[in-house]
Amino acid sequence: MDIKDFIAPFAVWKRAFEKPFTVKKPIDERPGAPRYRGFHMNDADACVGCGTCEAICMNNAIDLVPAAGREAKDGDSGLRPRIDYGRCCWCALCVDICPSGSLSMSNEYVWIDRDPDVFRYVPGVEAKPWDGSALGYRRAEGYRLLDEDRVPMPELGHAEAVASFLELVRGYSRAQAEKEADRCVSCGLCIASCPAHMDIPGYIKAVRDGDMDEGLRLLYETNPFPEACGRVCTHRCEEACSIGSGGDPVAIRWLKRYIADQVELSDYAKALPRGAAPSGKKVAIVGAGPGGLSAAYYLSMQGHAVTVFEAEEAAGGMLRYGIPEYRLPYPALDKDIGYIESLGVSISRGVSIGKDIELSKLRTDFDAVYLSTGLPVAYGLEVPGEDHPRVLDGVAVLARATRGEELGLGGRVAVIGGGNVAMDAARTALRHGATVDILYRRREEDMPADADEVREAKAEGARLVEKAIPLEVRDAPDAAGEAALFIWNEATMVQKEPGKRPVPEPIPGAVREGRYDSIIAAIGQGPDLSFIAESDGVPVKRFRPVVDSFGMATRAAGGAPVFAGGDLVNDRKDAISAIADGHRAAIGIDRLLYGKGA
Amino acid sequence: MDATTFAAALDLALGREKAAVAFYRELSAMASFAAQKSTLAEFMAMEEGHVAMISGMKAKGSVALSPTVAVDLGLAARMDAEERPTAGMTFQDILVAAIKKEERSGVLYERLAEAASQPGLKSVFERLVAEESRHKRYFEDLYESEISKDN
Repeated sequence: MDIKDFIAPFAVWKRAFEKPFTVKKPIDERPGAPRYRGFHMNDADACVGCGTCEAICMNNAIDLVPAAGREAKDGDSGLRPRIDYGRCCWCALCVDICPSGSLSMSNEYVWIDRDPDVFRYVPGVEAKPWDGSALGYRRAEGYRLLDEDRVPMPELGHAEAVASFLELVRGYSRAQAEKEADRCVSCGLCIASCPAHMDIPGYIKAVRDGDMDEGLRLLYETNPFPEACGRVCTHRCEEACSIGSGGDPVAIRWLKRYIADQVELSDYAKALPRGAAPSGKKVAIVGAGPGGLSAAYYLSMQGHAVTVFEAEEAAGGMLRYGIPEYRLPYPALDKDIGYIESLGVSISRGVSIGKDIELSKLRTDFDAVYLSTGLPVAYGLEVPGEDHPRVLDGVAVLARATRGEELGLGGRVAVIGGGNVAMDAARTALRHGATVDILYRRREEDMPADADEVREAKAEGARLVEKAIPLEVRDAPDAAGEAALFIWNEATMVQKEPGKRPVPEPIPGAVREGRYDSIIAAIGQGPDLSFIAESDGVPVKRFRPVVDSFGMATRAAGGAPVFAGGDLVNDRKDAISAIADGHRAAIGIDRLLYGKGA
Repeated sequence: MDATTFAAALDLALGREKAAVAFYRELSAMASFAAQKSTLAEFMAMEEGHVAMISGMKAKGSVALSPTVAVDLGLAARMDAEERPTAGMTFQDILVAAIKKEERSGVLYERLAEAASQPGLKSVFERLVAEESRHKRYFEDLYESEISKDN
C-alpha cells in the first residue's frame, strides 16, 4: 500500500466545513453562446398568428392564445404563440418554420422563480428582460423550411396575348399544382377573409392528395362557380395568406381552377352531393349572374323549384358581359352554369322584370323572390360634353364584345377610370388594335382595380396617365362627331385632412388635351331599381335595398318575401361576395319556407 | 336681396331652405320608382331639418352655427352645371343636383357676406357659407363613395 492510501480519506475533511460551490455562487454569470437557443422572442407586429409554430412543435409546447390589444382582422388571427417551458426542448423548429419570420430566440437561458406555473408566456406581448436581445438564434439568411416562391403560372406572352382573345393563363399541370399545394401550411387565415368562407386548406389538401372529387365537393360546399372564380376571383384569400407574410402567397385561385379543370362536367354528379327531395316550394330569382345562380344552386339542393329570370340572352351576368373571354373563356363559365341547370334550375333568358313581367307578379306566383340584378347602369363622366357620340360606356363596350358585335373603337382610345371595368375595357381595346391611354384621377396605388390587372394592362401596351382630372369633352376639329378631344387637368395629390385619403387638386394652368376616336367612361356603375314599385314594400335607402343578415328585404303582406343580395346590396362588388350573398339568402329562404324563420 | 338686418338675413336663409324642400318635393313628384322617391324623401327631410334649425335661430335671435368651413373636394366646380332631373333619374343625377344646389347657396351667402357692412351681419352670412359648405361636402362624400368609386 502506498502512504497516499492512508492520507486520502483524511483529505476530504478539509472540505467538510465549506459551503458547496453551487450555494456559494448560485447564479454566476455564464452567458449563453452567441447563437444559443434560449427563451423566445416574437415581433408581435410582424406575427400574423397563423399557428404554424404550434403545428410543428413536437412537444405541444406552443398554444395560440388571444393577445391583449390585438383584434382579429384579414390576414391576422389576433392570436399569438404562448410558449410552455415545461415542454419546450429548444429545438427552434418554430423559428425555422415561421412564415413571417417574426419568431426568434434570445441566448438567455436563466429564469428563476419558485412558482413552476410561471414558465409559460407570450413572447412579444408579455415583456421580458431578454426582449430585443441581439444574440441568440435566428433563422439563417436564405434558409427556409417553407418554399417562399410561388410556382410560376404559364401564361401567354404579352405580344401574343394582345393579338387575340385567347385565354391568358394556361393553368397548372398536376406536378405544378401539387408543388404549389405543398406550400400551404393549412393555417386557415384565408378562410376568414374569403367572403364565402371556402374551405381553402381543405381543397388545397385535396390537390396534394390528388383527390379531385373531394376537392370539387369542398368547392361546391360554398361556391358553385369554381371555374369562374378559379380564374377571375378577386382572391382576398391570397392577401391574407400567412405564407405571403414572408414570401409569395399560395396561388389559391389557381389551385381552385386546377381542381375544377380536372373534373369533366359529366363527372360532376358523381363527385357532388344530390339535392333533397322536392319540397313543393317555388322560388323566383331575378338575375342570372353569380349571385342569382349561387342562390339557385343552394335552393335547388334544398329541393325547391327555382326559376331564374335573366334580361340578357345568356346567363352569367357580369361574369359573361363584363369580363372579357381572355380572362374567363365562355366554355369555363358555361360549365359552371351547365351544372346548376343540370340540377333542374330553369333559366328564363331574355325576360326583363319590370318590362316583361312585374315584381308583384313574381311575389304572387312564387313562394319567395331573390333579387340579384347587379349594377347595370353606367355612371356618366359628369363633365360638359359627356353626351358626345364618341363617349362610350365601358360596361356596354364589354357587353358588345361578348356578343361579338363590331366595336368600332377606332385607332386611339381613352379609358377614363381606374377600376376593373376600365382595365378590361382598355385591354379589350388593345386586342382590337387600338392605342390606349388610361386616364385616372388619382395615383396608380389608389386604383381600385386589381394590381394584376393594372400591371398586365400596362405590359400589354396601355399608357397610364395618372392624376388626370376630367374637365370636358369636345368635338375634335374637322372630325364631325367621328373623334373627340378629351380635356383634363393635371393634378397634384394634396393631404387636405389628416387621416383621410389625399385629394387630387388641379394644377393651375396644367390643362391637357388628347384627340381620341373613342372615350370609354368607366368611373362606376349603379343599380337599375326601376322595377321595384313602392307597392312592392321593398325598403330602399340610397338606391340600395335594405336587407337583414340573411338578405331579406321584406316579408310584407301581399306577396312572397323578397330577398336581395350581390352588388345590388353589398359594398364589395365582386363575384365571390355575390356568390356568398346568394348562399346566405338561400339559407334564409329555406328557413323561411320551412317555417324556421329567416 | 334685401338682407340688411339680422332678421332679414335669416329670412333669406329660411327662404333658401324652404326652396330646397320644394326642390326635392318637385323632383319627387317627377320620380317614377321607389328608390328615387326614398332618396329624395331623405334629402327633403334633411332640408326640413335645416328649416327648423334656422327658424329656431330666428326665434332665439342668435346664430348657433359653426364657423368652420368644410374642406372643398372640388367636385362641384367641375360638374356639368346643367341639371337634368328626369323621370328616370339615377342616384348620380340626384346627387349632382343636390351638390350643385348647395354650391349655389354657398356662393349666394359668400356674396352677401362680402356686401354686408355690419360686422354682425357679415358674421351671420359667413356662418351660413360654412353651413352650406358642410352640406355640400356631405353630398360630395356620398358622390365619391357611391358614384365615382372607380375614378
